[in-house]
This record gives sequence, C-alpha cells and structure tokens, in this order.
Amino acid sequence: MEDLFGVKMDYIMIVLLVVLLPALAAIGIMALRNRVMLKMGLRSIPRRKAQTALIVVGIMISTLIMAAAFGTGDTISFSIRSAVVDGLGTIDEIIVPTRSSGEEQLGAAPYVPIERFTQLQQELSGLASIDGLAPGIGESVPSLNNRTRQSAGELRVAGVDPDNLSGFGSFDLLDGGELDLLALAPNEAYINDAAARELDAVAGDEISLFVEGEPTTFTVKDIALAGGLAGSDPTLLLSLARAQEVLGREGLINSILVSNKGDQHTGIEYSEEVTTALRVQFTDREAAGQLRETLSRPEVLEVLEGREASLRPESRQNLASLRAELASPELSDRLISLLADDEIRGHILTALDESGQTEAIREVSTQFESLAEFSVLDVKRQFTEQADLVGSSVTSIFIIMGLFSIMVGILLIFLIFVMLAAARRSEMGMARAVGARRFHLVQMFVFEGTAYSLMSGAVGVVLGLLASSLIVAIVNRIFAGGGVSGADEFQLTQHFEPRSIVVAYCLGMVISLGTVGISAYQVSRMNIVAAVRNLRTPREINVVTTRQLLLEPPLALVRPFILVVSALRALASGRAVRSAGLLGQIALSPLSTPAGFVMAIYRLLARPFSQGWLAILIGALITWNGTTTDLAMSYRIGFTIFIIGVGLTIRTLMRRSGIRSEVADRVGYTFFGVVGLAYWFVPFSVLQKITGELRGGIEMFFISGVSMVALAVWTVMYNADVLMKVLTVLTSRIGGFRPVLVTAVAYPMSAKFRTGLTLAMFALVIFTLIVMSILTEAFGGSNEQIEAATGGWDIRTNANLRNPIGDLATAIEEDPSLDSADFEAIGGYTYLPVQARQVGAEEQRWRFYAVRAADEAMLSNLEDEVQLIAEGYGETSDDVWNALRENDRLAVVEALVVPTRDGGFEERSFQFQMEGFYYDDETMQPIDVELREPRTGEIVTVTVIGVLDRSADLFGQLGGGMYISRAGLDSAVPFEIPSTNYRIRVTEGVDPVATANSLDAAFPEYGLESRSLVAIAEESVAANKAFNYLFTGFMALGLMVGVASLGVISLRAVVERRQQIGVLRAIGYRRGLIQLSFLTESSFIVLLGVAIGIGLGAIISYNIVQEIQMEVETIRFDVPWIQIIIIIAIAYVFSLATTFLPARQASNIYPAEALRYE
Amino acid sequence: MDDQIVLATGIHKTYDTGQVKVNALRGIDLTVQRGEMVAIMGPSGCGKTTMLNCLSGLDDIDQGRVVIDGVVLHDLPDDERSDYRARSMGFVFQLYNLLPVLSAVENVEMPLLLSGVGATEARRRSVDMLEQVGLAERANHLPTELSGGQRQRVTIARALINQPSIIWADEPTGDLDSETTEEIMALIIGLNKTNRQSFILVTHSAEVGGMAHRIVRMRDGIVVDDGSGNDGA
Repeated sequence: MEDLFGVKMDYIMIVLLVVLLPALAAIGIMALRNRVMLKMGLRSIPRRKAQTALIVVGIMISTLIMAAAFGTGDTISFSIRSAVVDGLGTIDEIIVPTRSSGEEQLGAAPYVPIERFTQLQQELSGLASIDGLAPGIGESVPSLNNRTRQSAGELRVAGVDPDNLSGFGSFDLLDGGELDLLALAPNEAYINDAAARELDAVAGDEISLFVEGEPTTFTVKDIALAGGLAGSDPTLLLSLARAQEVLGREGLINSILVSNKGDQHTGIEYSEEVTTALRVQFTDREAAGQLRETLSRPEVLEVLEGREASLRPESRQNLASLRAELASPELSDRLISLLADDEIRGHILTALDESGQTEAIREVSTQFESLAEFSVLDVKRQFTEQADLVGSSVTSIFIIMGLFSIMVGILLIFLIFVMLAAARRSEMGMARAVGARRFHLVQMFVFEGTAYSLMSGAVGVVLGLLASSLIVAIVNRIFAGGGVSGADEFQLTQHFEPRSIVVAYCLGMVISLGTVGISAYQVSRMNIVAAVRNLRTPREINVVTTRQLLLEPPLALVRPFILVVSALRALASGRAVRSAGLLGQIALSPLSTPAGFVMAIYRLLARPFSQGWLAILIGALITWNGTTTDLAMSYRIGFTIFIIGVGLTIRTLMRRSGIRSEVADRVGYTFFGVVGLAYWFVPFSVLQKITGELRGGIEMFFISGVSMVALAVWTVMYNADVLMKVLTVLTSRIGGFRPVLVTAVAYPMSAKFRTGLTLAMFALVIFTLIVMSILTEAFGGSNEQIEAATGGWDIRTNANLRNPIGDLATAIEEDPSLDSADFEAIGGYTYLPVQARQVGAEEQRWRFYAVRAADEAMLSNLEDEVQLIAEGYGETSDDVWNALRENDRLAVVEALVVPTRDGGFEERSFQFQMEGFYYDDETMQPIDVELREPRTGEIVTVTVIGVLDRSADLFGQLGGGMYISRAGLDSAVPFEIPSTNYRIRVTEGVDPVATANSLDAAFPEYGLESRSLVAIAEESVAANKAFNYLFTGFMALGLMVGVASLGVISLRAVVERRQQIGVLRAIGYRRGLIQLSFLTESSFIVLLGVAIGIGLGAIISYNIVQEIQMEVETIRFDVPWIQIIIIIAIAYVFSLATTFLPARQASNIYPAEALRYE
Repeated sequence: MDDQIVLATGIHKTYDTGQVKVNALRGIDLTVQRGEMVAIMGPSGCGKTTMLNCLSGLDDIDQGRVVIDGVVLHDLPDDERSDYRARSMGFVFQLYNLLPVLSAVENVEMPLLLSGVGATEARRRSVDMLEQVGLAERANHLPTELSGGQRQRVTIARALINQPSIIWADEPTGDLDSETTEEIMALIIGLNKTNRQSFILVTHSAEVGGMAHRIVRMRDGIVVDDGSGNDGA
C-alpha cells in the first residue's frame, strides 16, 4: 500500500518519525535531568499490575485499529498485486487495434492482419526495453468436456505464436514440464488449470468447442500452469495458426503481447518508458498536432488546471505535465504519450464536460478517435496501481470505521489521567507546597503516560496485526462462499509492510502522547491548599488581564527568537550548561511553539466562548460557511455551536441577574443539550428543505455520532439529580436492595466528569453498533426486496455470442431432457453497447451506455417496477411495458443514469447520465435520447418514458442498460444481433436451481450459463451481511476500551473508597452487598450508556432508513432485537467481568483495616 | 450493676506485617454494663482502637472470647456479624466517615435500609433523628457542606438511628474544637441518659474521659486499670 488518504505512506512515516523521535528524545532528556519525577511517575506501574494492564489495553486501541487497518490494506494490495503478476506473468503491456474492421466478434478487440505485426516487430526492434513481442488471437466460445459433461460457456481460445516466445520466459505445465506448442497434433490442445477446474478435465479428455454452431473437438494434451501466455481465465491454448483456423480468422490477430526487460516482477519498471515509446510509435502525428492545437486554447487549459485539484497525486502530476507540454511550441514525444493515455483522455473529456464546453468536447472526441492505430494498455502497471488504490481505500475505510473507537480511546486516556491525578492529589499538592513547579507535575504524568504508551503501542501493533489476520480469514471465507461475484477463486494472502507497522506504531504513539500531554497539563492545574487538605477545588478567579491574554499568542510565536538570544548570551558569558539547556529548548521549538501558540489562543478565547457570545459568533460563521459551500458538516457543526452559544449566553445572563449559579448552569446546559439533540434529530431531507442541497459523506456518521452522544451525556449528567430522584421513587419499595442502589447511583453521579466520559465511551460504541445493525437489517434482503429485485423472474441464462441459441423456448420444447411445462415464461434480450446522448441536454458528448432489446415474451412478462412514468404513458408499470411493446421507439432507462435530488449516488463520469429531472420526482416528461451504434455510426432516436426502480436487476448487479423492444433494434441496425440473455420464470413448485442446472446440461454447445436469481440475490445479501458484520465487529473494538475504562474506574474506586467501605461494613453492609454495590454501580453506567447509545442509534438509523426509503421503497426500518440483545449482553457481561475482581477485592477488605486506611 | 452488655475475656490480637509482628492486644479482659459509658484511654499505640475494633467485631481476634448482649460475636459468620452490627450497634469515628456522595439524611437512614425498614419509614425516622441532634434543617446537605461538628452530629444520628444497645466511638471529638467537643459530649451524655444505651469511647482527651462513667486505661496492649474504682461523671 503506497498511499493513505492521498498522501504517500513514505511521507507519512517521515513526518511521524520527525514528530515522534524528537518528542521521545525530549522526554528522555527530561527524565535524565529529573529522576525524582521519573521515579514518581513510574513507580505505580509495576505496583498496580491489574490497573497497568487495563490502562495498556485501553490506550492501545488507537494503535490496534491503525495496525489492523494497515495490515488489511497491505494484505489486499499484496494479494491483488500477486494475482496480477501471477496472471500476467511476463506480459507487461498489451497492444490492441483501435480501428474496427467490422469483422470482429461483438465485444472482442478488432482484428489486424498478421503482416502488421511483422512490420511492427521491425519498427520496434531498436527498443531495448522490450525483450519479447508476440502476436495473439483470442475469443471466447462455448465448450464441453465430453467425458464429464461439464461445460464452460466462455472458454477462451487463445492462439500463441511458437516462433515468438522469446522474452516471455518458460511456458510451464502444471506438473513441471515445459509446454511445446509445436508438438501439438491438429486435434490436440493444452488447457490451463483454470479451464481444467471449470471443465473438470484431465489430460486425454476430449473438449468440444462450438464456433458458429459447429463443434470442433480437441484432445487435452496436458494442463498448463495458468498465468502469462497461458492466461488466467479458463483458456484453451493452440498455436496461432491453428487458433486462427478454428476461429475462422486466418491471417488475423487481435492483440500483441509485450514483455519488458527483466522478469515478471521487474519488467514493470520499464513500463512507463515502453508505453511512451509505443504510443509515440502508433500515434498519427498530424492528428496529435490538431489535438494539441485544440487543447492549447486558454479556456481549455484553464479547465484542465481546475480538474487537477480533485485528482490523486499521479494523475494530477500527469495532467500538470500535459499542460506544461501543451504550453511548449513543439509536439513532443512526451505530449504524444500523454495524449494516447486513456486515463488522461478521460480526464480531459470530463474536465471539458464539467465546464460545459460542448463544442470543444465534440472536436476533441473526434480528434481522439483518429489519434492512433493501436492502443497500448500498460496492464501490469495499471493493475498494480489499482491494487495499491484498493488497499489504500480499504485501509481508509477501516480507519474511518475505527474513528469512533479511536475517539473512545482518547477519552479513556483523559479519564485515566484525571483519575491518577485525583488519586495523587494530596501528594501532588505536597510536592507543589515544597517547591515543585507545575511543569514538574506535567513531567511526572508525561513520564508515566509515555511508559504506558510505549507498552501499549507495542501490544497494539501485535494485536492489530492479529486482528487483520482475523479480518483476512473472514474475508476469505466470504469470498470462498461465492458471495462476491467473480471473486470466488480470489483469496487474500496475509502480508504486512514493515513501513505500515512503523506508521501504525507511530500514529498510535502520537495520538496517545498528544492526549497524555494535554491531560497532564490539565491535571497539573491545581489549588495547592485544596489538594493538600483534600478539599474541593475552589472556583478559580481569573487574575490574568485581557491585555496579558492578548499578548500571549504573539509572545508564543517570538519565544524561539528570545531563546536564541538568551542562548547566545549564556554562551558569551561562559555558562555552558545554561546555553545547552536553551539550545535543547530551541531544538524542540518546532513542536513547542505551535503548541504554545494554540494554548495561548485557547486561553484567549476560553472566557468569551464560555460567556456564550463568541460561541454564537463562531457558530454563525461556520453555519454561514456551510450554506455557501453546501457542506453538511459545516452546517451541522456550525449550528450546533450556535445553539451551545445560546445556552451559554442564557447561563451568563441568568448568573448576572443574580440567579444561583447551579440553577443558571442547569438551565443553560440543559437548553443546549436538549435543543442541540433535537436539532440533530431533524432528518437530513427536512433540513435540506431549509438549507437547500447539502453535501455530506461517511464523515457525517462520525460527526453526528460524536455530537449527539456528547449532547446527550451532557444533558444527563447535568440533570443527574433528577435521575436520582426518579430512581429513589422507583426503588422505594425494593427494600434490601435499596441501599445498594442508592450508593451505586450516588457515587457515579457525584463524579460527573469521569462518569460522563465513561458514559460517552459506552454510548459512542453502542451507537455505532446499533446503527450498523439496523442498517444491515434494513438492507438485509427481505423476501419482498428479493422479489422486487428479481423482477418476478427465477432464472438468468446467458448464451455465448459465438454460438447463439436463438429461440430458447423452442429449443427447450424440442429437448427431450427438459419438460417445457416447467417453464412458465421465457424472455430474451440482446445486449448491445452503444453511445448515447440526451437531445436538448447541456451535456452533448456521446457517452457509453447499453441497450437491452427485449423480445415480445420478455416485455409482456416483465414485472420490474417502473419508478417514474412519463406523462401520457399511463399510471402503472404494466402500462409502460405495454407501450414499449406497441411502439419500438420508446425506452425505459435504469435508475442509475438518473440523478437524485440529494446527489446520493456517485456520478459515473464516462457513463451516460440523463439530466433535467430527478429520480425522486413524482413524474417526468418524455425525453428523447440519441443512440449511436459504434461500428456503423448509425443513429436512432428513442423516447424515454420511464425509469426503473433502483432495486430492479438486483440493484444493477445483473447488468444495466435501457430497455427497448427487439423490433426497435432490428430496424435500427443493418445486421442481425442474436439474443444471448434470457430470463426464465418457472412453473410454481419447480426448483429454479435444479432447472438452471438442467438447462446448462442440456445445451452445452451454446455455452448456456444459468443461475437462480434468488440464489444470486441471497448470496449477495449474505456477502453484504458478512461484510457488515465484519465492520460491526471491527467497530466493536471500542467496547474493549469501554470495558477497560470501567475496570480502571472500579480499581480506583476500591482504593479511593477504602475507608468508606470500612464504614459501610461497620454499619452493617455484608461482604456480598459491598460486591453487589460495585457491580450495580458498573451496571448503572453501562446500562445508561447502552440506553443512550441505543436511543440515539435507533433515531439516526430511522432517519437514514427514511431517507433511503424515498429512493428504494422496499427498505424497511426493523430493529434487529436479537442482535441488539447480543450486543448489550456482550457489553454488559464483559463490563461486569472486569468489575468483578475489584468488587471482590473491595468486599474482602476487613472493616477495621479499611477504617485505619488514610 | 450486673447487666453486662460486653464481656471480653483474654483477648489477644497480633498484627503480622510480614516482617514484624506486633502484639497489639495481649490478654484483655473487659466488662461493660448496659447503659454504661466507658472511656478507653492510653498513650498512642497502646491498642485502644484495636480493642474497640476487636470488641465490636470489626476485626477478628486471635484468642479470647467476646460476648455482646449474650451473643458470642466471633462465633458468628461474617454476614451474620454484619447483620448484628446493623441491628444492634452504632459507630462514631474521629473523621466522621460519612459517605460523601449521600446527603445527611441519606447517611443516617442507611442502617435502617440495611435492616429492611421501608424507605418512607426510614426517611421519617432519620429526619426525626436529625432533629434530635439539632440538624433537621441540614438534612439534605452533603457532608462537604457541613462543619466538623455538624458532620459528627450526623455520624451520631447514624449510630443511633437503629436504637442500638451499644455505641462504639473512636475519638468522637478528636477532630473538633473545644466548644464543639462540649456540644457533642453533651449530646452523647444526654442520649446515654435518655435511651440507656451503652457508649464505649476511645479518647485521648482527659476532659472527655472525665465525662464517662468509667475510664479504662491501657498500655502496651493490656488494661492497666479497668476503672472499676472510678464512677466517673
């Protein structure tokens, strides 16, 4: 994995090391210089082993999540890279003809005469970076193993020239020998091991290929090792000449394979050089010159520059190079190479498209068409880049999913330090009384925190890597289950990059140390007398003047210069030690100056913010920013701060008017807690009615979770006494349990900060788990959803285009092995890739799209729901399908090409998109769309009269394209395109799975591949669920922190309340009651946290489901009670288990001993 | 008086810190009559508090026998001993030892709740008791919001709420000024007279000791003078 969030991993590592190593060095120097504080900081670590263990577990969560995310990303990158390298072998680039001769198979690459290859071979002979060039031919045909009766609908027949194998390495057999194409008899062939698996074939088997309906039989001579020239898909290998003969393409080829210098791993290093050279070679310089002229126009250059910002680094660099080359007066090779790059072409067209330069798009599109005779696909480089991209994306997803747990981990570190400080308050007060500076206390905590962080970082990395192994194992199981289409043979191989381990450790350490530093600073602020006498800290009367506060930020910035001057003075006056110390401080100033500046700004703003008016101002500004940028995040956060500001202002005004501060606090805080929560409960769509369209992604989940939980916990904690009163009334009749309950509620409610933090931890984690569970359930694939998604069909059948079956219904009737009574309806359609553009739309570029030309049987049996119906075309879906049957110029498009009002679906930049109406509209006007058949250039106009429901075709998994009638296609293209796609509805009581198998067995020569639609839907649902469970499990890691925090709290409580335990025992508490009291206390916190999490999670999930329901009607809000009960049970049982030992320890304290304790 | 409420004979208690063994009590014999107020005095480290803890069942004994109101305390299992304390004993400590998270009235009602008294009844009796000790108006205040004397009154109210036959007080005035000490002792003496409850007080103060019916003097873990010749106040 090379990037994370678009930043190079190398840079991330360097920055982290630059931050962390000096920080650790500084802490080390401080430790050497102040051993007393070091000793004080570290002494309790070995002494309180259980507490240390819990703290380490809690702090390690950030590192664990990072390591698990990186480990998973690395594994995915590595596995895809390996699959790419194994699949391509020594092939680094593939050259394919771009200009159609009209002879080729639909969907296959165009053909060129073999002589063109010989010519090219000579032209490229001077290119030293290439060590192999091989002509190839390949097409997919239906096949059947005559012995096992196993068929493969899409067996690739590949022809390899035995005279041009040099540079491609060895061509190996599965059993270790070398493959020899020249040794093949005319009726012999090799198959690769992928084909052997699919056809269940061994050497000696007879394989029949069906080309244009005619069978040709080959005996399998041996099994070749898949990869390289042998292909990675199921492939039958022949010599080039024999393959041309079998496929009826004598003298033609449709690909040229290129092997770069070096082996299968190192060849990629020459990819850029080779690709550039080849593209220059193939490009028509005159066409390139014209293109250059068009692109050099200032308005085009401007939009290209604008496009750069949104691209990932490599693409950005390429586009920048293109602009630089366009600025040069010469038509350079570099420019030609860039223009011939498909990706760059895509960016140019998208940029022009987005800027609305329709004329330029037309011009540029045409010029690109005539740019080159061949297209050079640098497949290995592109696929490996894709591998890195996928790895980075997965890592990013896991990190985002883990953000809640990282947040919870940060809360725990705060909590731990607050508790440690509380435990040592009087000792710290004494230390300050006898002359220790506040900085010394900070040092003491930093030493302790660093020790915990170093330990927990190491443990976190190890456990994170183990977690990633577990994730990989689960993903492999999902793949093995066949739930992800096409991925069933792909398996992940565990792999960790050392760099990722370093980054995970450093990131975890930086988060922990940063939090430790801030916490240490916070807890070092104390009133010495109050600390020594263990009294409440008196309210601090701020003696710092506004002038001083205003001066602090600039002073923080000039501090390094003051240090330099002081160091020079010290040096000049011969005070070496002093100057060394100052130099050390100067060395740390890159870290300490920004930190000091931030703290100064914080101190400056804290007072006006807490008075309310500044919060109102800041909130209003951020909200205004949200409305102008349409950023949901800004809008939500800004308005929340605004509400907080209003609450704080109410509090300030009440205090100033003489109302008791407790009352003022309660009113102000409750106001912003309740109003803030109500604001977050407002559904997104309702909010957008006020604000207009807002943009938001997955980050909103995190932000909403943190905000809602914070507001809810705040409200609960400031109204804790009300809660206590309610509990008192409720428990007034419980009798013996009551004293336990009273203390169990009173203790946590008296320590608002630590209880609030722990509540927030539990609530946050439970919130995420509930949202994930409810959404998983909502998308869980109910019968209703599956029925809607399959359109009332039971089986999907595809036939091979090389040997189409034609009228499937007649074929079934005539086949003795099938009973036509089992088939209630059979519909067929032709799938044809086309180019499309909407008449009268702003966007006038031809874009990729597809047509499904459905026959009469298909149209009359379609049960797919039409979501949007054009005015004048009826009220129901049936009306629309009937209209299509009657008029062959009408069409229905799929939902994916129609925008939604909230922009909720990703725009596919190269695909056809309609405009001028929305999927969520009530109705639409009929819209004309031009379709161009790419080979003939024939253009027909159809009228779109409906939009399919989103759930149709299994949410697009079965492919897409607009529906028109078969008659419409036949009249538009001059040649016949056979139907190759079928949908079948079986008679009630007939098993679709068995019928699908019977169909494949009955027509192997047509390469029929049939599957039960319900089975596909269920597998897909199962895979989605499995992935959701995986994410839920990953997010549940935060529970570990919550549980650890309860353990720490309980352990501390036993120590802090030792004397009180003695009193309770003295006045008659039994041992069991003491234990029960501690357990009830933990239960109270856990259950309250769980209740907050469930409540908020359910509300936000309900809103999300309601939003989605507007687009996908079959989605339902259902609470998965069993799963939620399991989550609660796990959270509760583990929390009690952690509290059990401290509770037991407390109950075993002897009263007399406890009373003696000070 | 031959109505003995405490009868302790041959009490031994040794603390073993692992490195040092401390013989805190070396054969204590003590008798307390019902309604008697006994002060235990002696220099620091002589074993006063240890004796109070051992006699009240807060601590185990190594040897000897303690009979409280006819019950052989150390023969009882731990839970029954706890129940016995909740029902029949009250405790007052030098540092008040109130539960800081509960209000005065909640602290006072705790022993009642433990004895199974209903919440409403417990609250009513606790308020009455606070009234007796002069703190009714502070019933809903947390201990941190009360002065030292007020806290000790709450402790006394808590000790008396179950109408125990015996109250153990460890330095009940040790943390108070002289004026408050007088107030607290007046309260204790008054309650002792009114309710005929036995008070066993550990104290350093000769003044406080002087107010008891009898002073038991200890030194080095033994009773050197059980005060039977002194009738006290």
